[in-house]
Amino acid sequence: MTDLLIQGALSGLLIGGVYGLIALGLNLVFGTMRVVNFAQGTLLMVAMFMAYWLHVLTGLHPYLTPLVTVPVLFGLGYAIQVVLITPLLAREKTREPMSVLLMTLGLALLLENLALLLFRGDYKTVQVNQTNAVWFLGDYIVSVSRFWALVALLATVAALWAFLTHTDLGRAIRAVGQDRQVARLLGINDRVIYNYAFGISTAVMGIAAATLVPFYYIHPGVGTSFLLKAFVIVVLGGLGSMPGAALGGLAVGVIEGVIGIWTQAAVAQILLFAVFIAMLFFRPAGLLGVERK
Amino acid sequence: MRIEERRVAVVLALLVAIIVALFPAIARALLSDHAYWIQIYIWILFFAMCATAWNIIGGFAGQYSFGHAAFLGIGAYTSTLLYLNLGLSPWLGMVVGGGVAALAGTVISYPCFRLRGAFFSLATIAFAEMLRVGGELTDSVFGIVINGARGLVIPPVGDNLWAFQFRDKESYAYVIYGLLLGTLAVAFAVKHSRLGYYLAAIGDDEDAVKSLGIDTARAKLIALLVSAFLTAVAGSFYAQMVLFITPTRAVSLDLSVQMVIMAVLGGLGSVFGPLLGASILVPVGELTRAALGGSTIQGAHLIVYGALLMLVVRFVPGGIEGHVREGCRRLVALIAEALYGPATARPAPANAPIMHLPTNGVALGVRAAAGEATPLSLSNVTMRFGGAVGVKEVTLEVGAGEVVGLIGPNGSGKTTIFNLVTGFLAPQGGSIHFDGRSIVGLPPHRINRLGIARTFQIVRPFTSMTVTENVMVAALPRCATLSAARTESQRWLAFVGLSHRLDTVADGLSTGERKRLELARVLATRPRLLLMDEVMGGLDQRSLPGMIELVRRIRLERISLLIIEHNLKVITEVTDRLVMLHLGEKIQDGPPLDVVSNPVVIDIYVGGAAALR
Repeated sequence: MTDLLIQGALSGLLIGGVYGLIALGLNLVFGTMRVVNFAQGTLLMVAMFMAYWLHVLTGLHPYLTPLVTVPVLFGLGYAIQVVLITPLLAREKTREPMSVLLMTLGLALLLENLALLLFRGDYKTVQVNQTNAVWFLGDYIVSVSRFWALVALLATVAALWAFLTHTDLGRAIRAVGQDRQVARLLGINDRVIYNYAFGISTAVMGIAAATLVPFYYIHPGVGTSFLLKAFVIVVLGGLGSMPGAALGGLAVGVIEGVIGIWTQAAVAQILLFAVFIAMLFFRPAGLLGVERK
Repeated sequence: MRIEERRVAVVLALLVAIIVALFPAIARALLSDHAYWIQIYIWILFFAMCATAWNIIGGFAGQYSFGHAAFLGIGAYTSTLLYLNLGLSPWLGMVVGGGVAALAGTVISYPCFRLRGAFFSLATIAFAEMLRVGGELTDSVFGIVINGARGLVIPPVGDNLWAFQFRDKESYAYVIYGLLLGTLAVAFAVKHSRLGYYLAAIGDDEDAVKSLGIDTARAKLIALLVSAFLTAVAGSFYAQMVLFITPTRAVSLDLSVQMVIMAVLGGLGSVFGPLLGASILVPVGELTRAALGGSTIQGAHLIVYGALLMLVVRFVPGGIEGHVREGCRRLVALIAEALYGPATARPAPANAPIMHLPTNGVALGVRAAAGEATPLSLSNVTMRFGGAVGVKEVTLEVGAGEVVGLIGPNGSGKTTIFNLVTGFLAPQGGSIHFDGRSIVGLPPHRINRLGIARTFQIVRPFTSMTVTENVMVAALPRCATLSAARTESQRWLAFVGLSHRLDTVADGLSTGERKRLELARVLATRPRLLLMDEVMGGLDQRSLPGMIELVRRIRLERISLLIIEHNLKVITEVTDRLVMLHLGEKIQDGPPLDVVSNPVVIDIYVGGAAALR
């Protein structure tokens, strides 16, 4: 039984890497703009289809697709912010930008169902060397493709952390997130910062997609379940906290993996939502977040 | 609107209602594929009912629920289970289902209503998803079979009124027409009741509503209960029409989202907006589905829903209802002119200045009894924020009819004291008494009911409401009827000199006018102690004397005042006593001129400069 539990936790930890990446994207946008991006999951779906078609059409290994998808997705995210969101932020100065939430919801519905129309609803998969490969860690099985997903998460968190603390643009993003008025007074153009934040958060989906495609199905509706989990993770780890998103992602993965040993995965889903509501209620700043006055 | 126009409007509205009601019969007579059209008609009315119900909490109060399908599912399952197990007529089960949904709403409201904006939305999604997944996993509850994801089938029994089953679609069409009519009537009644005013104000700024003595949690709860009940009733109808329900379909996120989109497209907060939204989206979605290859693609209509939602949010933020209403108004005017000739004497424009009422304390009836004991006393009050000191061991009194000024540099704790007295913060130490009664731990609206009102440093008018409506929100708890509140509000607006702005939407006011509006609003709560946070701040030199005069007149009403103000010249003029705070501690308390000439005070206020010299 213990063996099974450890195996479950291990598998969960590895898939948690992907969850963490998506939560990272969500957090970057929320941390700077206080905007909940309902299209985050859909953008992951877009990234997955990009990686899929790149692989199918050019034979490029999925792990190399970020070379193409990350810049393209950054441009896409940047454009979404400029064209769709900035005009709304200009309108709603003080109130919480609920109209942005509705806008991203509209975008998610549009993209998801367009993809359904274009690619149909069948489940696509990609077979590469890593797809079914496993390593043995003592008595436990480690899926190679999932292992790389965890590595990708850790590398991305490290890179983002370095970027946010050691570059001018990164520091500007953090400054705007903490207090956009003061940042503005210090000569930071917050509008441009938002564009970068949204661009980067979309670009991260390229990395998530690259690690997912070798072992997960590709389907227009794939984003929704990831999005709901990412909400839980973000609230669990702390809004706006990068390490929180990563740790939250891993924690959710482990919870799913362990509960999956006992019973159906769906039970884990119910439990996660219960945790989510309890967190919102008792500790809205999250486990690693900082309470704001 | 002149009387002829009103007559034309009523006749037109009735005509439309009758034509819509008779549509199924007309379709049967004229169209060969009438079953198809009647089915679309039913879906329009069904979604209109759901969206109208959603709008009562989502639009009226600005609480965007993304989990309303949970209530729909509860209604569908309750009536169905009661019918299958006990043979109870779904007509009765429908009402029971509404009750169960309202009960569920009460449970959900407890954690959810503490959350704001997007977090509220996310929590409602979480609840609905829990219900859906839980339903899919459960085969029976306490011996009652619900069949998990396989769902429940209601065996068809042919035409049977008791069983709520009909062979022809027309009967269902008439039923949903009646249900929608009832839902619209409820929405209309809520919108035009005092609850409707509270909800609209909550949608703009909930904290400001609380400070006016209104129990916002209760207002939101009532709205949610009504909304949940009606959504559940729609759910029972849905179950009877398709005779097959599963958690996956009835509690789907897509369904919840569609209610939101229809209400947003039509117009949040308007009674008929969701109906308009459904009338456009359902047929357009149906056409898209047909154009893009029928039912093979599940979400074809959602492409259009998503695109339209984006366009509306970007270009028609208020929804289309306002524009449609304007169009109807013009049409009515044209018809009235054709029938009765051109309009003659037009009534005065709404924003013409009205007569100023004579104002004095007696007429307004707020003069407090003289010689009352100290209304407000703080003793050793302490409040910390994390490691930082907000206020420390502050003892402070305000006597009956007394005007006390609170001064001190930024961050000295002035606004914190206001937040403590009005219940927006709870002190960690010390006591606060009003009329000899401890008010620590009371929620803001209760404290306001006791007679303490406040203004905010940065004014917070309800920006989507008119000036009169702003004040009405404050006056309503003390008025028997809406019209009494309106009259009362206009008296207060005359008192502060805003009679020429009664019907202006508050968003369009200048800073000075907003400050006056906020004063009228708090005065309408009939306070005995008024806390004013920098009411003179941000005013230009020409507006200042008017505001000083206003403060004097409020004082004549024998309302005790506690005033935060940076302009020392002004504050020494209007106050009886000054209290000086520095770094959260009280360092001076005495006659204004003594305090401002005290060297310590001068040092703190002009400290840096004096030291440099």
